[in-house]
Amino acid sequence: MNLLTDPVGASHFMAVGAVMFVCGVVCMATKRNGLGILMGIELVINGANLNFVAFGSEFLRRNPDYALGVDGQLIALFVIVLAAAEAAVALAIALNYYNNRATIDVDRADELKG
Amino acid sequence: MGFHEQIDALIDDTQRSLALFGPELALCGTIILLLLCRLVIGDRLSSTLVAFAGTVVGLVAALFSWSQVAGTSQEAFTGMLVIDSFTIYFRIFLLAFAVLFVVFTWRSGIPDREDAADFYTLALGSLLGMCLMVAANHLLMVFMAFEMASVPSYVLAGILKGRRKSSEAALKFAVYGAGAAGIMLYGISLIAGVTGTVHLPSIGASLANTMAADPSSSVLWVLGLGGLMVMVGLAFKLSAVPFHFWAPDVFEGAAAEVGGFLSVASKAAAIALLVRVAIGFGFVQEASAWVDAEDQSVVQTTNGVDQTSIASASGETTSQIFIAARIQDGNSASGQNSQDVQTTGADHQQGTDQQDTDQQSGDQQGTDQQGADQQTELTQPDESQLSPEQQAAEAERLAEEARALGIAQRREAQEVANESLGPVRTYISYLVGFLAAITCTFGNMAAYGQSNIKRLLAYSTIAHAGYMMFAVAGAIPSIGTSTTLAQDHISALAVYVAVYLFMNFTAFAIIAFLRNQTGSEEISSYAGLIRTSPGLAVCFSLLLMSLIGLPPLAGFAAKLLVFSALADSGLWVLLIVGALNTVISLFYYLRVIKAMCLDVPEEGQQVAVFPIWKNIDGWFIFLLTLPVVVLGLFWGPLREWALAACSQLLS
Amino acid sequence: MDGHINWHSFYFLLFGLTACVFSVAVVLTGSIVRMAFYLTLCLGATAGLFFLAGAGFVGAMQLLIYVGGTLVLLIFGVMLTAQGPFVNMKTRAGEWVIGGAAGLMLLGLLLQAAFRVEEWRGPPEGVATATAENAPPGEIGIRMLGKPGDNGKAVGKESGYLLPFEIVSVHLLVVLIGSAYLARTKRRRRASDPAEST
Repeated sequence: MNLLTDPVGASHFMAVGAVMFVCGVVCMATKRNGLGILMGIELVINGANLNFVAFGSEFLRRNPDYALGVDGQLIALFVIVLAAAEAAVALAIALNYYNNRATIDVDRADELKG
Repeated sequence: MGFHEQIDALIDDTQRSLALFGPELALCGTIILLLLCRLVIGDRLSSTLVAFAGTVVGLVAALFSWSQVAGTSQEAFTGMLVIDSFTIYFRIFLLAFAVLFVVFTWRSGIPDREDAADFYTLALGSLLGMCLMVAANHLLMVFMAFEMASVPSYVLAGILKGRRKSSEAALKFAVYGAGAAGIMLYGISLIAGVTGTVHLPSIGASLANTMAADPSSSVLWVLGLGGLMVMVGLAFKLSAVPFHFWAPDVFEGAAAEVGGFLSVASKAAAIALLVRVAIGFGFVQEASAWVDAEDQSVVQTTNGVDQTSIASASGETTSQIFIAARIQDGNSASGQNSQDVQTTGADHQQGTDQQDTDQQSGDQQGTDQQGADQQTELTQPDESQLSPEQQAAEAERLAEEARALGIAQRREAQEVANESLGPVRTYISYLVGFLAAITCTFGNMAAYGQSNIKRLLAYSTIAHAGYMMFAVAGAIPSIGTSTTLAQDHISALAVYVAVYLFMNFTAFAIIAFLRNQTGSEEISSYAGLIRTSPGLAVCFSLLLMSLIGLPPLAGFAAKLLVFSALADSGLWVLLIVGALNTVISLFYYLRVIKAMCLDVPEEGQQVAVFPIWKNIDGWFIFLLTLPVVVLGLFWGPLREWALAACSQLLS
Repeated sequence: MDGHINWHSFYFLLFGLTACVFSVAVVLTGSIVRMAFYLTLCLGATAGLFFLAGAGFVGAMQLLIYVGGTLVLLIFGVMLTAQGPFVNMKTRAGEWVIGGAAGLMLLGLLLQAAFRVEEWRGPPEGVATATAENAPPGEIGIRMLGKPGDNGKAVGKESGYLLPFEIVSVHLLVVLIGSAYLARTKRRRRASDPAEST
C-alpha cells in the first residue's frame, strides 16, 4: 500500500509504538548508566501509551464499536502521571546511590552478590 | 437520563462505594495525619501511635465490611473496583499485617525518631496500593494499583539511606520494577485493544465472543502475547523465575523489616491480582451488581412500569453481543411465552417484542428506553381499555416473567460462553503452572549455598511464590468443570496466604530482633542460640519447620490443601514437582535449625540473649508463633472462612 | 486511490518516522546528554502522533507533563551526576550483538502482532481518511469526575474515573514524601543506631 495516499490505521500507530517499546527494552538491557535505563523505561511507557491512544480512536479501525473511545485517552493520561511519579522516585534513588558511591554505573553495583 | 438524574445517580453510587471503601479511606487518612502530626508534634512516638491507630481503624473497618457484603459481590466506583468476600478476606489480612508491622517496627526501632513519619507514610501508601490490587476490576486499576504498591516500596528498600548496600538494593529494585511495569503496561494496551474493553470481567465475555466466532482468530495470537507481557509484571511482583533477580539482592540490602513487608504483603496482593486477572480472562461473569443498581435508579426516574421492567430485563451489558449471537432459540421461546399472555393488551405484547429485538440487536440501554418510550406513546389508546390497577398488575407479572426468562437465558448463555473459553483457561493454567514449577525448583535449589539468613529467606520466598502459583494453576482449568470446585481450589490459596503471613513475617521479626542484639544476619551467628535463649530457638525452629511443611504445623495444612487441589484437577506433573521440592527444601531449613541447636559458637562470638517471657518483643514472637501451631492442628475454621471468601469469585 | 496525498497519512509518516528515528538514536548514542536530547525529540513527536489519533488533550498533556516535566527532571539528574569519568556509557560489543538480536526478534514479533489483525489496518468502511477530529476535552473531564460512559460500545461498560483521579493524588503525596526523604541531607550516624549492623 502507498503510505502517502492510503489512510492509516491503528496498526501503523502500533508499529511506531513497537519500535519505541523495543528501543526502550534494548536501552534497559544494554545501558549501564542508571539514568540511561530510566530513559529506556520512558520509551517503553510511551510506546504503550501510543497503543492506548490509537486503540481509543474510532477512525483507526474497521469496526469502531470495538474502539476504546475516551477510555483509551484517560488511561494514557493517568499513565503519564504515574510515569512522572515513578521517574521522580527512581531519580531520587539514583541520586542517593550516587551520593553513596560517586557513580551511577550499575555494573559497579556488586556489593550484593547476585 | 437528564443531567440532574445523572448527577444524582453518580452521588448515590459514590456514597455506596465509599461505604465499602472504609479500610482504604482509613489508610489515606492516616497518611495525611502522619504528615500533619510531624509538622505539629514531630517525634517518633507520635508517628508510630498515629500509624498504629490508623491501621487498627482500617482493620476494624475491614472486619466490619465482611458482614456488609455477605451474599453479593458489588462493583464500586462505577466498576473500577469489585468488592466481594475475596477482596475483604485479603484486605483483612493486609490490614492485620499492617497492624503487626507497625508494632514490630516500633519494637525493632528501624525507623528512628527522624524517619518514622516517612517510613510509615511509605509503608501505608504501599499497602493502600496492595488493597487496590486485590480489588482491581479495571485494567487501569490493575496498573495503577501495581504502581502504587511498587513505587513506595522502592524507597522502603532504600530506607537506610546512608548505607551503600541499602541504596544499591533500592536502585536495583527500582530499575527492575519500573522495567517490569512498563512491559506490563504494553501488555495491558494490547489486551485492551484486542478485546475493546478495559473492564476486567467484560474481557472474558469479549474473548468468548471471539472464540465462538473463530477459534483460530489471529486476534488470539496478539492476546496471548499481551497476556504473556502482563504475566511479566505479575511474575516480578511475585518474584517468580525468571523475574526474581531483584529478590535476593533487595532482601539482603534492605532492612529485615522491609524484607518482611515485601515478602508477605506484596506477595499476597500480587497473588490475589493474579487470581483476578486469570478469572477475568477465563470466565464470563453475569451482569454486574452495578448495572442492577443503575436500573434501580432508572425505576425511580421513569414513570411507566413496563418500561422499567424492560430496561432491567435487557439492561445487562457484560456479555450482550455474545448472548445475542447464541440465544436465537431462546428468543423464539420467549416469543411464544408472550403469546400466552397476549390477552393483557397489545402494548404488553409489543413490550416483550421490544425486549426481544433489544436482545437480538445487542442494543444498549439508552436506546432501549427511547424505543420503549415511543412504544408507550403509540399504544396509548389500547391501554385506556383496561383499568389502571389491572394494567399495573399485569405489567408487574409480565415484567416478572420477562426477568425470570432473561435470567435463565443469561445463565444458559453464560454457560455456553464459559465452555468456549476452555482453551484460554488451558493456556493460563499451563503458563502459570510452568512458571510455578521452575520458580519453586529454582528457589529451593538456590537457597542451598546461602550463608546470609535474609538471602536464604529470599529464596525461600521465591519458592513459596511457586507453591502459591500452583494453586492458581490448579484452580483455573477446573472452572470449566464446576465453578464450586474452582472456588474450592482457590480457597486453598487463600488458606496458604493466611498461614504464610504468620510463618514468614514472624521469621523476619526474629531476624530483626537478633540483628539488634548481635549486629549480624549470618546463619553462623545463630550458633548456640538454644542455650542462651531456648524459647526463641524453639519458636524459630517451629516456624522453619512450618515453612518446610512438616506436620502438625500450619504450613503442612496449607501445602496439603494446595496439593490436593492439584491432584483434583489432574495436574500430576505439578504435584510431583511440588512434592519433590518439599523434600529438597527440607535440608536448607534444617541447616538453620542445626546451627541454632547443635553448633557451638566460636571463641569470642557474641550470642544473642533473648528471653521469650520477659519483654514485649518475646511475647510478640510467641503470640505470632502460636497461630502457626494452632492452625496446624485446627485448620477447619480457617478453611471454612477461606471457602466463604472465595464463594463469590465465580458467579 | 486517486493519487492525492492524504495529508493525515503524510503527517503520520512525518511524526512516526521522527519518533522511530530518535528512539533508535537514544539506543545507539553513547553520551547521556545526547540521549536526553533525542528522547525529548522522540517524545515530542509522540505528542504529534497523539494529536493525529484524535487525542488532542493527551497530546497537550504529553508536551506539558512529559516533555516539560519528567524529561527536565531526568536532565537535572544527568547534570547532577555527569562528572566526566563516572558516566561510562560504552556498551560492550557482545552486549550489542545480544541486545540487538533480541531486540530485532521482539520487534518482529510486535510488528507481526500489529499487522496481523486485519481489523486494525485502516479506518471504517466509508471513511476515506482517518479524521484528526479531536475528542472534546470536556468529555474527558466529565469522565474523570466519575460519570460512566454512555455504553455505546459493543462490549463492556465504561466506568467513571473518579477513583483513579482521587487516589492518584494520595499516591503522588506518598511519592513526594519518599523522594524528599531520600533527598534530605544524610544524618549523622550514631553508634546506637540499630541500622548499623554491618
